[in-house]
Amino acid sequence: MAQQMSLSEARTILKKFRDEQTRDSHLIINLWNSVLMDNCHKLGDELWLVYEQVCAAALDCQRFDTAELCIQALDNKFPKSIRVRRLKGMLYEAREEYTDAEEEYNSILEKDETNMYAKKRKIAILKARQKISEAIHSLNDYLKSFMTDYEAWNELCDLYLSQLDYNNAAFCLEELIMYNPHNHLYHQKYAEIRYTQGGNENIELARTYFAQAVKLNPNNLRALYGFFLSSSYLAVSSNKGVKDKQLNQKYSAWAAEQIQNKYESQQPESQLKETKVIECIEKLLDSLQAN
Amino acid sequence: MAELLLDSNIRVWVFLPIVLITFLIGILRHYVTILLSSEKKSELRQVSDSHALIRSRILRENGKYIPKQSFLVRKSFFNNEDKGFFKVEKRESQAKNPMTDPSMMTDMMKGNVTNVLPMIIIGGWINWAFSGFLTTKVPFPLTFRFKPMLQRGVELITLDASWVSSASWYFLNVFGLRSMYTLILGQDNAADQTRAMQDQMSGSAMMAPPDPMKAFKAEWEALEVATHDWALEGVEEELTGGIIQPETIYLRSKN
Repeated sequence: MAQQMSLSEARTILKKFRDEQTRDSHLIINLWNSVLMDNCHKLGDELWLVYEQVCAAALDCQRFDTAELCIQALDNKFPKSIRVRRLKGMLYEAREEYTDAEEEYNSILEKDETNMYAKKRKIAILKARQKISEAIHSLNDYLKSFMTDYEAWNELCDLYLSQLDYNNAAFCLEELIMYNPHNHLYHQKYAEIRYTQGGNENIELARTYFAQAVKLNPNNLRALYGFFLSSSYLAVSSNKGVKDKQLNQKYSAWAAEQIQNKYESQQPESQLKETKVIECIEKLLDSLQAN
Repeated sequence: MAELLLDSNIRVWVFLPIVLITFLIGILRHYVTILLSSEKKSELRQVSDSHALIRSRILRENGKYIPKQSFLVRKSFFNNEDKGFFKVEKRESQAKNPMTDPSMMTDMMKGNVTNVLPMIIIGGWINWAFSGFLTTKVPFPLTFRFKPMLQRGVELITLDASWVSSASWYFLNVFGLRSMYTLILGQDNAADQTRAMQDQMSGSAMMAPPDPMKAFKAEWEALEVATHDWALEGVEEELTGGIIQPETIYLRSKN
């Protein structure tokens, strides 16, 4: 951050980040160094929340000096707080001293067995150590007690995907879709997983969910392209009779037209010629009609 | 009726002391409450129960967005006759008897000590020490009905209703100073926020149902009758069928 910001501006930004859980660690650290560090005493009670926020950001950016400073200050103010101990554990983690971190979290859990953060940090350690299958196992255990922690479902989905376990990943995404049925990205991702799984039934599902994603956000080009691909696939290999094939042809033609429109309206002429996507689409479409 | 004139000593020795006493007591009580408050600990089982109930509710409400197969899998996870979550999990009733649970007794006592007791003692003391004074007059006329409210301790029938007696002045202060406290002790009361920091936001501070078995039963019934009506049926047709997007409607009406 080159230009100087006023104290109140910096405060508002940090507060916004805290409320929305935005993770822009570089900006936070810059704000802290340039504005807030010298004005600590003006923050009042907000100071402690800022310390916590800056500490987490500092760990993200590997700024151990800043993080230690924050933890020190918080520790003096709240000597027994579990939240501060969690930050300490995260400091160990950032330094890759995983055994120490794990001890810290275990001692937190001894005191309060319902502490979700400590449990999730422990799983994060497993992930950082590349013990993916163990992480999946303990995340499943965790979700047995905290079934509505959608952050965890999301993480589990990604872990399963990294293991190419598409069935279980799809299960996790179904949870996420139910949690927020208006998020087009969940629908799109679910459709992508089903598409990857392959097979007529799965691709039909994929087509439907791609369509839903496009419906929720008409500008989601990725979903549009997915809709095009899945319906063109079905137009060729559907085994539900001619009528279904024709229907799918109609869908893919529609999607192709939409994609073309999007490209034409967004890109200048010169770039459009270099864009290969439209060419590909046209070729695919031609081959479909030839069938 | 002849206008009453109050001795200025009443202002110095009755009116102001009552304001001061109620105010200081209020602040004192605030800090005593913080000192005595015990951390509410939730048990893992309670937390996970409430999570399960919420998940089941979400399944009922938004289950239509996932394929039928997936919906049925989840339904059977909760409701299966032999292995369903709501069938297998047995919880003992948590409706505690306050007499047998010492922690609840202390909680109740703390509530009494900080709220009810001072009210009685200070109120009684004020009544005893400052009774029988008229302290002030509200600057507008009031009807006869207000007399018992504003003139406690001074039962004079002929007295104008706008006069306020000392005992009533105390009660007006008790209720009226609340906004002063928020002004002085901060919006959410600065000390309260510190306590929240100490509380460490123990996960999702969700309320556990008082009796999980009953809640399970109710949720089981609700889920049992829930059916799957796929919301995405025919969405492709809807999308490609030339249904005008809301955006375009807006644009057209604008032109």
